Amino acid sequence: MKDLLTKINRIATQKFGAQYAEARAQKMVKTMLTLKEERVEAAKQGIESGVALRVLVNGTWGFASVGSLDQTILEGAVSDACKMAKMASSHLKKPIKLSDTKVVTDRVRSKPKKNPADISMEDKIKTAMTVNKTGLGYDKRIKSFTIDYLDLMGTSYFANSDGSSIEQDKLYVWARIAGSALNEGIFTFSREELGSTAGYEVFDEVSPEDLGEKVAKRAIEQLGAKSLKGGTFPVVLGPNVVGVFVHEAFGHLAEADLALSGGVLADNLGKKIGSDLVTFYDDGTIVGSFGAFKYDDEGVQTQKTLLIKDGVVAGLMHNRETAQKFNAQPTGNARAEDFRVEPIIRMRCTYMEPRDHSFEELVENVKQGFYFKSFRGGQANLDGTFQVGIQEGYEIVNGEIGAPVRDASISGNTLETLNKVNGVGKDFLLDPGRCGKGQTAFICDGGPHISIKEIMVGGSA
Amino acid sequence: MAVLKKEVMLDLAENTVSQALKKGASEAEAYVYEGQATNIGIELGQISKANRIIDRGLGIRVVAEKAMGFAYTNVINDPTAVEDVISRALSAARASKPDPDWKGLPGNETYASPEKTFDERVAELESGELVKVAATMLEAAGQVDKRVFPIEGGIGSAYISNAVANSSGISGFDKGTVIECSIATVAKEGISVTPVCFEFNASRSYEVDPVWVGKEAAKLALSALETKSVETKSTTLILTQFALQDLLAYTLINAVRADSVQRNQSAFKGKIGEKVASDKLTVCDDGLFAGGLRTWAFDGEGVPHQKTAVIEKGILRSFLYDSYSAKKEGKQSTGNAGRAGYLSTPSIDTTNFHILPGDKTANEMLSETDDGLMVYYLQGAHSSNPVSGEFSVVATPAWKIKKGEITHCSRGVMLAGNIFEVLKNISLVGSNERQMGQLISPWIQVENVRVIGK
Repeated sequence: MKDLLTKINRIATQKFGAQYAEARAQKMVKTMLTLKEERVEAAKQGIESGVALRVLVNGTWGFASVGSLDQTILEGAVSDACKMAKMASSHLKKPIKLSDTKVVTDRVRSKPKKNPADISMEDKIKTAMTVNKTGLGYDKRIKSFTIDYLDLMGTSYFANSDGSSIEQDKLYVWARIAGSALNEGIFTFSREELGSTAGYEVFDEVSPEDLGEKVAKRAIEQLGAKSLKGGTFPVVLGPNVVGVFVHEAFGHLAEADLALSGGVLADNLGKKIGSDLVTFYDDGTIVGSFGAFKYDDEGVQTQKTLLIKDGVVAGLMHNRETAQKFNAQPTGNARAEDFRVEPIIRMRCTYMEPRDHSFEELVENVKQGFYFKSFRGGQANLDGTFQVGIQEGYEIVNGEIGAPVRDASISGNTLETLNKVNGVGKDFLLDPGRCGKGQTAFICDGGPHISIKEIMVGGSA
Repeated sequence: MAVLKKEVMLDLAENTVSQALKKGASEAEAYVYEGQATNIGIELGQISKANRIIDRGLGIRVVAEKAMGFAYTNVINDPTAVEDVISRALSAARASKPDPDWKGLPGNETYASPEKTFDERVAELESGELVKVAATMLEAAGQVDKRVFPIEGGIGSAYISNAVANSSGISGFDKGTVIECSIATVAKEGISVTPVCFEFNASRSYEVDPVWVGKEAAKLALSALETKSVETKSTTLILTQFALQDLLAYTLINAVRADSVQRNQSAFKGKIGEKVASDKLTVCDDGLFAGGLRTWAFDGEGVPHQKTAVIEKGILRSFLYDSYSAKKEGKQSTGNAGRAGYLSTPSIDTTNFHILPGDKTANEMLSETDDGLMVYYLQGAHSSNPVSGEFSVVATPAWKIKKGEITHCSRGVMLAGNIFEVLKNISLVGSNERQMGQLISPWIQVENVRVIGK
């Protein structure tokens, strides 16, 4: 494979004068399941293979993706990519350049304790069925229960014209569980995700029974929850919400491509924008976590990247192109969903560093506010406006957790909000998730419990 | 452009079905997909990339003992790979559990010819021509004001074809084209940055106006530079198509899917024939809408597309069915089996979700709004509760309307409510219809939505 990819890269550099060329071949096998209540909607298997070719000609990117490993087809595709890049470069103002990186030759094998390929489809169905049966059996008011399961295994072969050559295994195990409840015309909905790059042993860490019960319990509790009255309130956020807050409110703005697009962080590098309590990392090195890998899709080794330290913006997440523009080092954040798309800057595992408060201390300082424990969706905007939807929340009255509230969300401006973080807990949790930025990336985020002096809370009451 | 011929795709689909039956499937369905796309990309204010993606594949559903198995591959020119994928689908079915509600794949059908879904000019577009269009759009955006910065966008053309065949006699082929140009901009002045403002044109035929797209996106960003706050209260909203598309996709559309209804996940269960919305609202799902972005001859199972009345003057008329959910109720599929290419099994989805236009022009809608907000883009619509229809989102940005005129822009305004209340509170429906993804809709004015200002 290395020889084939190197040969294709050489066509780009020698025949078309490309300054840079990379080829990424992938072979993947997927197993998928969807169970609705006690019905297996379908047991699914997928096989895909293909090559992504990326070239830099006249300072402009050309990219071609084909679902084939055939040399003649690849030769045609790389020629296409080079010709198209040349054509597109006719309007170029600032040629794209890449930062230098280490030339790497490596072979990375995944070492699951339980290889998903060794678990039979029957066993996977059994596990998924246990989740659904537990959920449905939790309470008569649970009306629907869905589990989507995916395992993805394969190998990515990378070679570029700098001389790097990497063969890297990919392994993802993922499940999403959603349940709904209905009582006297009130509908509720609850969901959880599970994800790992370690192996099928993720189901030994959380049992299928616990998963089913957790989702069902929340849906039932929400039946008694009230809509809240929107406004500005002090809040305590759980690790699950903190993770999404870090990801949406700060993480996206610290993606160097978005920072260059006018995002509010580009002008704030090295400046203090948040409270002393705020330290965030984006870390691709946590073994087994959903955002972990050794090399990114530009062949750059992953790392633990400091984004903000004690409130001071410390760094951005880079690919080779943005690193060159910022005169920085690439951070290993260039990821492509598969061979159909080009690598772009994506987060890995993004989290807040814990400090020393206990949960009780955080709550007892709130007179009238909310405890938001679990999220449902979130979104960032370049102007620093973030939104995080809440699927599980409670009132806080005089320092005590009170009645559940339903379907709220929090929003604010990043630069204002990071200054209002006034308590950071000593606990720590990470949750797997997926992030959409044109492509889907498997990521992870989390942190401790925190308190924020005031934040906008949306509710319809 | 070399594309797979109709006969080649149909032969592959039909042969796969007969092979699967020979290997022991009691029923089988094969779906063959081809997509070829060319994109010219804009990043950081300049044309910076050119992409070409060719994706082909085959997805097979087989039934064995009333249990469903599915497998796909993107290696379709190798008979051994095709045989392997049939075996995988069969072993998946054998590992699976029988479904007592399974009543068979849909049967033999005849198809209408959809109008304006294929344009030779789009299929044959050269990348050089696309570069010119992208440059025109970029220039138009740049000329509006120095403070506007086009951050990303581009133009893409695609040819898509699919063939589906099954053991109950279905055999269909359809092809189409799509072209889309879009640009996202922000305006910047001092330390003030606007939210991302986006415009686009998408069409099945070569009808895009890059100058309009560039100018509109830039004008929107510019108008969002200066902001003032709005007060917290319940108020009137004008929802543009951007906001409607986002909001409905995560709320109303779930409620009209027959599987949601059958699984007690829809507030519309048992409400056929009842009033569920303002009598100003009429919605149909129209899979044959001429030139519709989701217009095809048939759905993901080979069932003909059709026009289905969903809500008529506020009265709920029908849900959207695929063949499985329809057979469960002894009904006919409405041709709403969606499919993510060859990678997935079919699941219920809208085709073109068409909110029928009213008679108010955009200007009339504005002038008939005494006090309210004009909402373009929403942030966080996907965090809505898909079952209860409750939403709590941010308008990024919103424009304040006072006495029929837009007075100023406001950022970070939160909107909260329940989609089923919103439907009842629709007060005006515009005549300014526009297609956006699965939605075809005019602007809608709705009363009494909770707004949380800073």
